[in-house]
Amino acid sequence: MSVPAKEKASSFEPNIVAFVCNWCTYTGADLAGTSRLNMAPNVRIIRLPCTGRIDTLFILKAFERGADGVIVSGCHPADCHYTAGNYHARRRFAVFRELMEFMGVDPQRITFSWVSASEGGKWAEVVNSTTEKVRELGPFVSYPRVAHAQVK
Amino acid sequence: MEELRELAKKLLQEKQVNAVVGYECDRRGVRPAFVDDPAGCDRLVFDHRCVQNLPAYLSPRRTNVAGLGRLAVVVKQCDARAVAGLIRESQLKRENLVLIGVRCGGVAANPNESRELGAETLALRCYGCSGTETAMADYVVGEPKTVPAAGGDRDARLAEIEKMSPEERLALWKEWLSRCTRCHACRQVCPMCFCERCVAEKTQPNWIESSPHIQGNFSWNVTRALHLAGRCVDCGECERACPAQIPLGLLNRKLAKIMSARYGFAVTDDPSTPAPIGSYRLDDGQEFIL
Amino acid sequence: MRRMLSRTDLDALVRDLLGAGTRVIAPVRRKVQGREFVEYAPVQNPEEIALDGSQPVRPLKQVVFPPTETLFNYKQDKGLVQIQEAPTTFSDTLVIGARPCDAAALEIVDRVMDWDYHDEFWFGHRQATTVVAVACTDSDESCFCTAVGLSPESTRGADWLLIPAGSSFEVRVVTPKGEALLESNKSRCPESDVPEAGKASSAVEEKVRANLAMNPAKLQEWLGAHFEHPLWQKIALRCHGCGACAFVCPTCHCFDIVDELEGVGRGARRRNWDACQPALFTLHGSGHNPRKDQSARFRQRVMHKFSIYPSRFGEILCTGCGRCIRVCAAGMDLIAILAEIGQNAEEAGSTL
Repeated sequence: MSVPAKEKASSFEPNIVAFVCNWCTYTGADLAGTSRLNMAPNVRIIRLPCTGRIDTLFILKAFERGADGVIVSGCHPADCHYTAGNYHARRRFAVFRELMEFMGVDPQRITFSWVSASEGGKWAEVVNSTTEKVRELGPFVSYPRVAHAQVK
Repeated sequence: MEELRELAKKLLQEKQVNAVVGYECDRRGVRPAFVDDPAGCDRLVFDHRCVQNLPAYLSPRRTNVAGLGRLAVVVKQCDARAVAGLIRESQLKRENLVLIGVRCGGVAANPNESRELGAETLALRCYGCSGTETAMADYVVGEPKTVPAAGGDRDARLAEIEKMSPEERLALWKEWLSRCTRCHACRQVCPMCFCERCVAEKTQPNWIESSPHIQGNFSWNVTRALHLAGRCVDCGECERACPAQIPLGLLNRKLAKIMSARYGFAVTDDPSTPAPIGSYRLDDGQEFIL
Repeated sequence: MRRMLSRTDLDALVRDLLGAGTRVIAPVRRKVQGREFVEYAPVQNPEEIALDGSQPVRPLKQVVFPPTETLFNYKQDKGLVQIQEAPTTFSDTLVIGARPCDAAALEIVDRVMDWDYHDEFWFGHRQATTVVAVACTDSDESCFCTAVGLSPESTRGADWLLIPAGSSFEVRVVTPKGEALLESNKSRCPESDVPEAGKASSAVEEKVRANLAMNPAKLQEWLGAHFEHPLWQKIALRCHGCGACAFVCPTCHCFDIVDELEGVGRGARRRNWDACQPALFTLHGSGHNPRKDQSARFRQRVMHKFSIYPSRFGEILCTGCGRCIRVCAAGMDLIAILAEIGQNAEEAGSTL
């Protein structure tokens, strides 16, 4: 298991948003926490009922609001609480990923994973490896965002 | 042409339909025609300038067209894919519609094209088309024709972009999409964009900003293309309608390629083929998932 | 005595202004994925300016009325809302090579922008902008400026009108703003006693006239009396309601005001171009839509331009640029529609 090495990386701390399903990955993340696994603190989790509920617009909105990376995670195939939500999601994300690549958004900024309720260790790995990868990629300044005017 | 006019006349006289949707000549070229009077059938034409995708008028949001009653529609093989799409997605009942299939020899990119049809003028979607009538047709008119040879590789412009670095690609799309003024003409002319309320019009929550700044424009154009993945019938009307001259067809074409490579799907005029998004296989590729 | 300006001197004038930090907008040639067109865009170099090209695909209005404009930013802070107004200083702009139909539109829209409410953004941009129009040397089958009282040589809305004469231009100064521009460029615009070398533009004018002849007063009268008429149903059938016509129209000026969140408790209020053709434009919160179908919406477009605006401001809200005709994917043709209405008005017999 890789642990984020604060010494070697730059001072840049990426913002990462994770969209996870309620039944597998969220429970797995809970397990990672109660098992006191060492995880990068850069990931904010948003719990949804199923990966089938995760619209690609969620990912775009995360980037728009300043995320440097996104994680999408849910039940392994055949494990979906709703039978087939993850199968539908798998097709949608496969297509989304390739379209993003065609439009110049680096697919490395989006991690897709299957993490079950018992895979606390795998969740920690997904969090740590994604954080490391996005840290190396740097802040996602090139994403087409509207310029924020700061109100004093 | 006579055959088409006679058929339309017969359908109207026998009250099989209330109106025929076809093409007519206008001051500049060819435009869609709505004929509800047998005497008006002599206006109907079909030639290489008949570019428009008429099934766009069959979308349930076209309440004024629906008000005409039962329709007969002139369809090219490619247009029939939109009819199939609307039937597949329960927007249309096949039995409520008479389809007049035309044997098409290919169309120009522009309905006002004054030149003959050839490699120079042929619409991109006609590249490699057989020009035969659709199997969905109730009636078939016209002699078999051959589509002129294509003027090059249809996907040359796609390949050019794929060769670029990710940074170059993003810069290119930002440049193009910054031209968008969010008129949504691409959506309105699309036969498959039939939602009662488009996600881009929703304000609570406001997923896609309606402002034509680059953020809203990017989100809108990505979403428009994605919502048409496996549904786009490749009529090219979005790109032709765009007043900002954005090469929108590239996104749709890219998605068609992805659909074909990943799921072996090609858009067809068979309404019983399941759409690739909305169906799945247990062994779908997941090489990108950890 | 006529004042002449050579292309070389025009370029020098542009270079001077660019050097002084003025934003210069002019028709430039574009090529996007094999499609070639001309559009108004900021230039960095006078060589980019295409004065002999075809009509820019989009009108000049975006210079004084940007497609999206932030009115203010806001931030919520413990129940209080802090507002930061958008700056109301506007950058000095020179437009070179405006089409007479685009320049005229600015003056026509001024009327509504200073009607019940003085639009400080519109006039802010207007005052900071100097418009140099160039008389048309060509037209196509969609042009009909002569039918709405303009011409390929109209000076309306322009501060200068340049009339092409060989490799030079004759300079016609129209407004005090134009006088000021001449004052600082007098040496570049020498007086010439060479007589006019025959009017190229009268041939263009003839060509435009052949497209449409119209009696605006009769048209307005017919429209006023025929809010309900089978014509509207008939012509609107093919309309997709996309509104591309309004987005490329130099005189369409409707906008929507939206609040957009840009994070927790902060955001911006913006105004964006809008158009009367999509159903959403008049959709009420209750779900009721007073313009229930496309015929009502297309009628609105024609009525607003040729009946409502004229009766309110004495001006037709159309400059005959023809862009709505060129852009329409469904072949809606305003020239043919106006001709048909004109014929109806003729047949109905006029009280005029």
